Amino acid sequence: MSFWINPLKVAADWLEGLLTGWGLDPTLAHVLVAFLGVMLLIVILMVIDIFLVWIERKTVARFQDRLGPNRLGPFGLIQPFADIIKLIIKEDTTPGGADKVVYNLAPILSMMSVLVVWAVVPLAPVMLGVDLNVGVLFLIAAGAIGTLSIIMAGWSSNNKFALIGGFRQVAVMVAFEIPMLTMLMIPTILAGSMNMNDIIQAQGGRWFFLLSPLGALIFLIAAIAELGRAPFDLAEGESELVAGFNIEYSGMKFGMFYAGELLHAMTFGGIWAILFFGGYRFFGLELVSPFLAIPIFLAKALIGYWIIMWVKYTMMRIRIDQMLIFNWVFLTPLSFVLLMVTALLNVLLRDASTWVYAVSMFASNLLVGWIALEVARSMSKKERTKGEGNSLSLRRGVG
Amino acid sequence: MLLEYIAIAVMIAVATLIAGIAIGLGELFGPKKASAAKSMPYESGMNPYGEGTRRMPVRFYLIAVLFILFDIEVVFLLPWAITFRKLGLFGLIEMAIFIVILLIGYVYAWGKGALEWE
Amino acid sequence: MTTPVLTPIADLTARFPGSVTKDERAGYSGFLVAKENLLEVAAAIRDEFGYDLLTAVTGVDYLAENKMEVVYHAYKTTGGPGLVFKVQVDRIDPVTVPSLVNIWPGVDFQEREAWDLLGIKFDGHPDLRRILMWEGYQGHPLRKDWKEPFFEEEVKPFKSRWPDGKHVFAEEKNPFRDNLNFPKNFDPDAYQPEAEKDLYSSLERFTLKSESGLKTDQIVVNMGPHHPSTHGVLRVAVTLEGETIMGLKPVMGYLHRNHDKIGERCTFLQILPYTDRLDYFNSMSNNFGYVITVEKLMKIPVAERAEYIRVIMAELSRIQNHLIFIGMLLNDLGTMYTPSLYAFEERELILDIFEAVSGARMMCNYFRFGGVVRDIPEDVMQKIKGLVQDRLPAKTDEMDRFLSENEVLVGRLKGVHVINAEDAAKFSVTGPVLRAAGVPYDLRRADPYGIYDRFDFDVAVRTHGDMMDNFLIRFDEIRQSLRILEQALKQIPQGPINSQKPQYQVRVPAGEAYGRIESPKGELAYYVVSNGKPNPYRYHVRPPSFVNLTAIEHICRGTKIQDFVALLAMLDIVMGELDR
Repeated sequence: MSFWINPLKVAADWLEGLLTGWGLDPTLAHVLVAFLGVMLLIVILMVIDIFLVWIERKTVARFQDRLGPNRLGPFGLIQPFADIIKLIIKEDTTPGGADKVVYNLAPILSMMSVLVVWAVVPLAPVMLGVDLNVGVLFLIAAGAIGTLSIIMAGWSSNNKFALIGGFRQVAVMVAFEIPMLTMLMIPTILAGSMNMNDIIQAQGGRWFFLLSPLGALIFLIAAIAELGRAPFDLAEGESELVAGFNIEYSGMKFGMFYAGELLHAMTFGGIWAILFFGGYRFFGLELVSPFLAIPIFLAKALIGYWIIMWVKYTMMRIRIDQMLIFNWVFLTPLSFVLLMVTALLNVLLRDASTWVYAVSMFASNLLVGWIALEVARSMSKKERTKGEGNSLSLRRGVG
Repeated sequence: MLLEYIAIAVMIAVATLIAGIAIGLGELFGPKKASAAKSMPYESGMNPYGEGTRRMPVRFYLIAVLFILFDIEVVFLLPWAITFRKLGLFGLIEMAIFIVILLIGYVYAWGKGALEWE
Repeated sequence: MTTPVLTPIADLTARFPGSVTKDERAGYSGFLVAKENLLEVAAAIRDEFGYDLLTAVTGVDYLAENKMEVVYHAYKTTGGPGLVFKVQVDRIDPVTVPSLVNIWPGVDFQEREAWDLLGIKFDGHPDLRRILMWEGYQGHPLRKDWKEPFFEEEVKPFKSRWPDGKHVFAEEKNPFRDNLNFPKNFDPDAYQPEAEKDLYSSLERFTLKSESGLKTDQIVVNMGPHHPSTHGVLRVAVTLEGETIMGLKPVMGYLHRNHDKIGERCTFLQILPYTDRLDYFNSMSNNFGYVITVEKLMKIPVAERAEYIRVIMAELSRIQNHLIFIGMLLNDLGTMYTPSLYAFEERELILDIFEAVSGARMMCNYFRFGGVVRDIPEDVMQKIKGLVQDRLPAKTDEMDRFLSENEVLVGRLKGVHVINAEDAAKFSVTGPVLRAAGVPYDLRRADPYGIYDRFDFDVAVRTHGDMMDNFLIRFDEIRQSLRILEQALKQIPQGPINSQKPQYQVRVPAGEAYGRIESPKGELAYYVVSNGKPNPYRYHVRPPSFVNLTAIEHICRGTKIQDFVALLAMLDIVMGELDR
């Protein structure tokens, strides 16, 4: 087994051999090597995170007809490091009346919840991280810690804007978790496993995106909401809540929220790629070497991230009542219908040929999507004509 | 199997550590000049009027309750989704019945206006 | 082209013999109403004579005659000249005048301003607090016997600096680093501003009561002055129940510099650059309003070419104002600057033209009494033509296409009610907000000034008065402005650009004048009283932002906090002229 085919295994074996050679207990050596592996992964992620700052700023600048950072280093590449230095030498303030423990724990949890997700992300066929058989569930569990960190930040800051922001974010996250979970079940049904690597392996030949385009779309929408990015950025709600839940944070504590958000966005891009676009798969290239598979996966993740950015910087924020209606009355029922339709087709077409199966899956997705849109259109038309009278009756009273 | 969870525990520990170190760096290098005005919660530059931590509006509780309703449903769906191929049509029909029961709750909540903000 | 029906000015003296007399002072007009009969006369003016829009209320302190005068300007939303009526009271504190807030609710803020700056108490005003100065301020600065700190002389030019040139910089009197002095027992770190009892008790009084029966916590939040979406340093104290606004009180004055008092200290010409700073997006329009007011007093004609240049500049200014409006509104809806930066791109091209003709991009100081200060060079003229004929129409259509069909935008704006026609007139709301509510009241047509009666254009009107209409009407207005510009560019003659000699000091005969223009934000009016001296005796600005904001409480109570930000943006306020 050469380094080119499986670098991690080779390196780990070498290290373990070295450590046991020094007289270390084999189990301890294994744990130590695993620890070093985790360290390596996190350090790489942090470095990627730093450059995500640059990527986001540069991309947004192009969206907005600007140049973006271009002074520090080639193409402004050094800019994020300057940002970090600036954040480090900022004063860390804690508002009076804040719950100090909770207040300081929130940014750590925010960052941690994102990093932990990468434990189950398969980067290449031979680089699996932790090969959990409930990988999909783990994603949700880790994501929930992020939600927790936001309500912690909002509550402990002793600030009204933060409090409202925290409430809102939790309302959004909790609401959109349902369609997201439901959409996670579609790859699970298609692959017959909750293991992330199995899901990727099952996408040989056809990506799940081709079997369930609507599922991929709903997952993306729910992911954007889960991230709290526009049009669901109610928690940050810059125009009314200034910065929302993280308003009182300064320096590196704010930096953790910020970096956590960016990495989270890219993580969702990656998960989207794994669930619906075959993860590291690209016409067999991934089998050649992990050195090819990882860039393929990262490229797919960045494309997902780019789409999330694209939506964020073109959409306006929706209102909280619209968010609620959109999720509970439209997205949640739609995702359940889609799940049942997918399950039904999988049962009925169990023995059909691949082509018939794929085409009918694709067509059924389009059909469900089209019907849902038509229903939503007629409903919103009714709502809008009714709404004009409603908003009037609300305005009354003094003056 | 357990070893994998140990790896995740290590991951959590290391991630917490790294995040903690980053914040610690800020504590280390940042200036510390506390003042009464600085420790005041931000309220657009004015003195806060009234408390900062108040009770949540009841709307948010409703959302949380709805979430629990559906989350449990989804948790029951997950094992079905894995063994779905083995269970076949029987499992599908059974799950459909389960979803219909929850649908009744959903329709009830909708009728009560729990799905709308106002 | 239609000219509004000119109704003869109502004869109040015949209707109220004894209590109403004509104002006979030289250069003055209107009627003097006895204080006791004011409410009765005002009700008749509104109901019998049909003057439904009370645009301006202000006071004048006639120290020599020992009188305090309150001046009202009433107009009809159907157009035509206005009606001026005044109340004179003895200048013995407390100076009291009945409040007209029950007849025209739009006088609310203006009466508060008159109380704040002139110390005129309005009986029956429900919320008579200081508005531009802070709670606990002593004195009324616009009174003629009030003197500011570092007072030198009554009027400029100060003798110490002219003609001998012995002027002293303020920095020399108070050198930097030593100029920050605190009282002896004052520790700036421990300083706690005084609680604003009046504000919060007034907020509580005007807060809606919860109807759901649930005992929900109400939170009082200060939006502003240091807040990203209050368009400057406006502060709004808001009572929230969950996400719903139950009550709100705007607090202003953080940018207050007493523009009126500065104006009274300056000579007529010296005021001109100060007007640039009112609505700093539209210095051209501000100049326009001021010069036509003083021209009314001076009774001088305006050079023909200058008239066209004025229209061109004012309309370009309107276009760039609406571009900013559209961009910033979308910002307030949460688009993270993308549309606003594209809007700013077009605006920069218009600012290039302002820079080419006046030398400054924003603080133009371009108009003069009788004309303008410099001619438009030929190459700039070509640039304007290119902009008006090719670039701006295309870009306006592009923005319209991209934005107004966006589903999220429509969802946020459509059906969210701003104000209806009746309330808009009641609250003296003018400009696009009034027109979006369905009242075709545009001063360029209703009470033409300059040469606007020569152009063929439509008054942009929408009917629903919801946010969507308020948004779309700005596109309509840009298109109409482009129409006017095209005609003006075609018709502009050659010739002198000023009917007068180059001016340094102008002689203005005694009298009063009220000049108003349709600024992009609404009716911008100046009330100037001259006593024949080089300085105005009274100089008052009626800024559209300030008066339009009167309706904010009416508009926003009961809405969601997210809509509040957009509704505030709809009123298109700018703090430079709101706080003055």
